[in-house]
Amino acid sequence: MASIELKDISFCYPGSATPVIEALDLEVERGEAHALLGASGSGKTTLLSLLSGLLRPTGGAIVFDGNEVTDLSPRERHVAQVFQFPVLYERMSVIENITFAIREQSAQIDARVQHIVEALGLGKISALRPGQLSLYQKQICAVAKALANPEVSLILLDEPLTSVEPAAKARLREVLTAAQNEFATTMIYVTHDQTEALTFAQRVSVITEQGILQTAPPDEIYNQPAHEYVGYFVGSPGMNFVTREGERVGFRPEWCHLHATSGIAVEVTTCRFEGTRAGRAHGLVELSSASGPLFYRGPIDAVKTGTQTRLGIDRGLRYRDARMVGVL
Amino acid sequence: MTRYRPYTNRAWLGVTPVLLIVAFSAVIPLMTVVNYSVQDILDFNTRFFVGFEWYRETLADPQLQDAFARQVLFSATILAIEVPLGIAIARGIPRASRVTPLILVLLAVPLLIPWNVVGTIWQLFARPDIGLLGVSINALGISYNYTAEPLHAWLTLLAMDIWHWTSLVALLAFAGLVAIPPAYYHAAAIDGASSWQVLRHIELPRLHHVLTIAVLLRLMDSFMIYTEPFVLTGGGPGNSTTLLSQHLATKAVGQFDLGPAAAFSVIYFLFILLFCWLFYASVVNSAEEGHE
Repeated sequence: MASIELKDISFCYPGSATPVIEALDLEVERGEAHALLGASGSGKTTLLSLLSGLLRPTGGAIVFDGNEVTDLSPRERHVAQVFQFPVLYERMSVIENITFAIREQSAQIDARVQHIVEALGLGKISALRPGQLSLYQKQICAVAKALANPEVSLILLDEPLTSVEPAAKARLREVLTAAQNEFATTMIYVTHDQTEALTFAQRVSVITEQGILQTAPPDEIYNQPAHEYVGYFVGSPGMNFVTREGERVGFRPEWCHLHATSGIAVEVTTCRFEGTRAGRAHGLVELSSASGPLFYRGPIDAVKTGTQTRLGIDRGLRYRDARMVGVL
Repeated sequence: MTRYRPYTNRAWLGVTPVLLIVAFSAVIPLMTVVNYSVQDILDFNTRFFVGFEWYRETLADPQLQDAFARQVLFSATILAIEVPLGIAIARGIPRASRVTPLILVLLAVPLLIPWNVVGTIWQLFARPDIGLLGVSINALGISYNYTAEPLHAWLTLLAMDIWHWTSLVALLAFAGLVAIPPAYYHAAAIDGASSWQVLRHIELPRLHHVLTIAVLLRLMDSFMIYTEPFVLTGGGPGNSTTLLSQHLATKAVGQFDLGPAAAFSVIYFLFILLFCWLFYASVVNSAEEGHE
């Protein structure tokens, strides 16, 4: 049973003629970690505000666990949110922050809070105030606050790693994944960072101004992009596209080989070393071709910049009107 | 080729203009006052050193003690009203609406009126015979005459100051509120925090610094208030609205008691300094405790 359902949602800011979100459908399973991946301006933060109830959709319905919540306030929806930067009440201690939104009191809830505090390693700092904590600790505290409330059935994460220093990003990501595994709370994670989306989520939705282009598990998003944009946006660099017999053919940089007997005529522009695999130098090679720059990733021991060669496609996907129609 | 240049004290020359300005605008006049305060001056050539005599006399003056008590009561009352009222007004102003600039300009209007004009406006406005306020109150069946009744005069004075200065607190508080990231309000909405909790847990902690400035400004200004009560009531009826500065002016200009007036000025100055320091120190202390 789906925990979260968005049915034909549209939203338009008051006074604006063009809708930010139009006829959007999304289903998230109970206990699922779901990522909304999109570039800035794709409407993903607006979608988050619609889910939390800070904004009301101009059309469509939002259903949580079978109950329509479209017109309910944020409080009545029993959601929690972790923001881009840690949002905590500064005059309260860590433990007061964590328990602030909990309305009932019972021994069970106390035990739950205690368990979360221990699990997230906040035991030693629970009496401190946010002003004395690092950004990483504050954000962990915000995560604990979201997890602690037993009423909460959905946690929204709005690019929660943005403000944390790079070294702590991986740690925070592990804490989030571990917490998700343990508590199995439904989480919707909004990000523009594909690594965060692909590593955190069980399913990823790629969102643009046109709506959600594809919802699929991370490997499917990477290996079978349903839309040209998905292929281009996910991966670094993204998918290569060439036109062949009236169709667009997309292939990842690692789905092709150089020095082919037949294939696309290319010239090696740059070659970047990325490491050694099985004794052979691997890297990323930028090629110029009649259809623009292309990328190849793989063994580079026989690659020289400035040389002409042919690029053979091992695996390609066919696209018509930007939609995938089959395998090459 | 660059030559190593040793540090010199030449940069001090750059500070000279500031030192001169401060000397002529503050230090020398203040020293003159200090000088007057320890002498009995009969005319330009006849003066006697009297030590702390004037200070003793001034501090023992029951009129000054009364004026001081009135001053403390006045400053405490207007602070107790203007600060909460200013915050309430600031919270009521829409953050990002087309009318926001208009509201801010309207709020600032009382601040742009010269102080003696403010006094005159209220002097006319509150008159029981022709003033809109005075006539209206009397028409409601409440006997009101601020020129004869000390309590009425006192209330009118408070109303005038609140009308004149609440805007300042409101504008400062609004500037502080606008600086709060929207995410805090979103978090509060999701947590189901009440308006009171939003004020207590989000807004007041973040308004701390602007409110410190607002209270300091209002405290100093109200302690030095002169023009408005002078125009409105002239300190009367009786001495019921005579505040410290008015008392000083009567001494120095009215009676030409330069020595006692100078001694009083120094005491007055030290009082304001002490009050502001006490307030500031208590705020800074509580802020430090808050971070422990």
